[in-house]
Amino acid sequence: MALRRFFPYLLFVIALAVAAALANQGVALAQQGPTLTSKKVAQVPLDPKASVWGQARATDVPLTPQNIAVPRLNEVSISTVRVRSLHDDEKVGFLLEWQDATRDARASHPDEFRDAAALLFSLSPDLPNICMGAPGQLANLWHWKADWQEDIDKGFQDVVQAYPNFYKDVYAGVSGTPPYQAPQDFSSALAQSYFIGSSAGNPLSQFEKASPVEELVSAGFGTATHKAAQNVAGKGVWENGRWRVVLVRSLQTSDAEAAPLAGRTEVPLAVAVWNGANREVGARKQLSSFLTLSFVERAGLEGAQLAVVIAVALMVVVAVGAIWLRRRPASAA
Amino acid sequence: MPKVFNWQINREIEYPYEAAPPKKQFAAVFDINKCIACQTCSMICKNAWTSGRGQEYMWWNNVETKPYGGYPQGWDMRILSLLGPQSWDGNTYTGKTLIEAALERSEGRTVLGWLPEDEDWANVNLGEDESYGLIEGGTYFTMPHPVWSFYLQRICNHCTLPACLAACPRKAIYKRPEDGIVLVDQERCRGYRECVQACPFKKVLYNVATRVAEKCIACFPRIEQGLQPYCTVGCIGRIRINGWIHTPQEVDPENPVDYLVHVRKVALPLYPQFGLQNNIYYVPPIHVPPAYLRQMFGPQVDKAMEAYRQAKDDPEMLGVFLLMGATDKWVEKFRVRGDEVMGYDAKGDEIIRVPLKEPIFIRPNFDVVRQVFRHNTT
Repeated sequence: MALRRFFPYLLFVIALAVAAALANQGVALAQQGPTLTSKKVAQVPLDPKASVWGQARATDVPLTPQNIAVPRLNEVSISTVRVRSLHDDEKVGFLLEWQDATRDARASHPDEFRDAAALLFSLSPDLPNICMGAPGQLANLWHWKADWQEDIDKGFQDVVQAYPNFYKDVYAGVSGTPPYQAPQDFSSALAQSYFIGSSAGNPLSQFEKASPVEELVSAGFGTATHKAAQNVAGKGVWENGRWRVVLVRSLQTSDAEAAPLAGRTEVPLAVAVWNGANREVGARKQLSSFLTLSFVERAGLEGAQLAVVIAVALMVVVAVGAIWLRRRPASAA
Repeated sequence: MPKVFNWQINREIEYPYEAAPPKKQFAAVFDINKCIACQTCSMICKNAWTSGRGQEYMWWNNVETKPYGGYPQGWDMRILSLLGPQSWDGNTYTGKTLIEAALERSEGRTVLGWLPEDEDWANVNLGEDESYGLIEGGTYFTMPHPVWSFYLQRICNHCTLPACLAACPRKAIYKRPEDGIVLVDQERCRGYRECVQACPFKKVLYNVATRVAEKCIACFPRIEQGLQPYCTVGCIGRIRINGWIHTPQEVDPENPVDYLVHVRKVALPLYPQFGLQNNIYYVPPIHVPPAYLRQMFGPQVDKAMEAYRQAKDDPEMLGVFLLMGATDKWVEKFRVRGDEVMGYDAKGDEIIRVPLKEPIFIRPNFDVVRQVFRHNTT
């Protein structure tokens, strides 16, 4: 009799404990962000329009303005980026897609800024507490630039491309005919001496680009540094108000400044997007929180789905408990 | 944000970094009254530093006609209207500096600023020789002039508290500890153009070929050899002189720039209310209505104009003005002895001697040696 009398209370307490445990796990999962599952294929394509990208599950990643460090972006101009990942035996690739009505593929006017996108990986086992890494928690960045893409696709976007009616008859050490084309007509040592950024070895000032993706390492805001080794390939295409950008790297790396990816099942990463038309550059960007790149295609529930299940379970438990309590005999009160 | 003292506005201001004064501070005095806008300074600078690809639109040195001219167009009016009313209490600025205004407005930037558009840079000397006001029939000159304009010679101010340096999120801009010259690290800059937005004088510019920022380097390779910058030595109107400036507490009265700025207070910084403690000092044009000049050079402008009017009767002050354009060497100290002014280099050796009054030679109308009459025509 006693067991039967206390059974509802016991059940209620157990249910509450289970709900609390589930809720705790749910919060932990929510903090980790959504999972981006990398699908294994025969060959990771560099072409953003390759049909094999359709095999990868798309994850829509919400973006928020970078408003921690100055200079800030106060409002997003791009609210979401769709991310897909594929990998083969040797490489991993990412396809980023976002809406952008203007194609800003040049930075060759004083008031012109490029579109861009980047992935951030942590070089330390624990997540960096800020977006650009921290001292002792280095971040590895893969930064795709629309102007670099244009330089690769159409040749260096010189003054003559940026200003179609441009004419100047003479420069020190120039060859060829006016209005000239950089870099080929400016190859003499004298002409080169005026390209101070290039002469200083600034990677932003180099005319020839091997890849539209620059690989950097950083230890906090304001520290992004061009890596000695550049190993990320990429390609970006803008069509009908939408950028589609692919970034590809070998899974294996011996580079201490490159994100270790081989042999890992889960890798945290973050995404950032810049809208050149909105004069977004540097820290003025929109970015995601950390998401989890998973190389294992899990069958079970994950991420947001699990959170919904937890919430439903919690509601059921509370409802059942309430019904039990209301059914108690009045004398027991 | 740390507080640093800015003597030009006589109070502490907020600045992102602690005060770190260089060993010496590059400075110059430009006498606006003597400029004829021949643009020789602009051309010598362009030939020396910005004749390369991607620098076509760049003028590290420019001369514009005030009140309407500006490179980029409207640089002064744009930032003044952004900043709003600027109030002084005596010699103390009580309004907001550009950094204080940015802090207050919380727009996500370190320095209040704006980015010029392509067209703003395109007409470097638009407004040249445009006067303020119309000349009516019967108008005659009074002081100040009822219809006026003047030329403003502009290079980077190599500020003690630079806006460009404060705004760069990468610390790619620095002041050289040896001479206070402000430089953009050409290896570190990533072309964000926060500095271009922040500099109220718009003297950091984006190179469209190398895609990073560049600016006036104060001809530091010349300074390292004991020479004055090209714009100073190229000036045919002899309106410029360079020197190391000290704070008001450490004035060296034999230093030509200290003498004009601190001792005689005849040269003033441009828009000191921006709070940057700029290091190019101007002798204000004495024919211009003071109301305009007070906004431009601060509340001490009336006294500066009064002092300038005394120069012709003041051998010391006259001496310093006569050293302008008299030598290509860097004048560390000057002395007036009798009717001459002497300039000395860092070792104390005399490098220049100029008479306070040009000797006059009158040649007779007939040349007895050559047995010809002298004519003014050849």
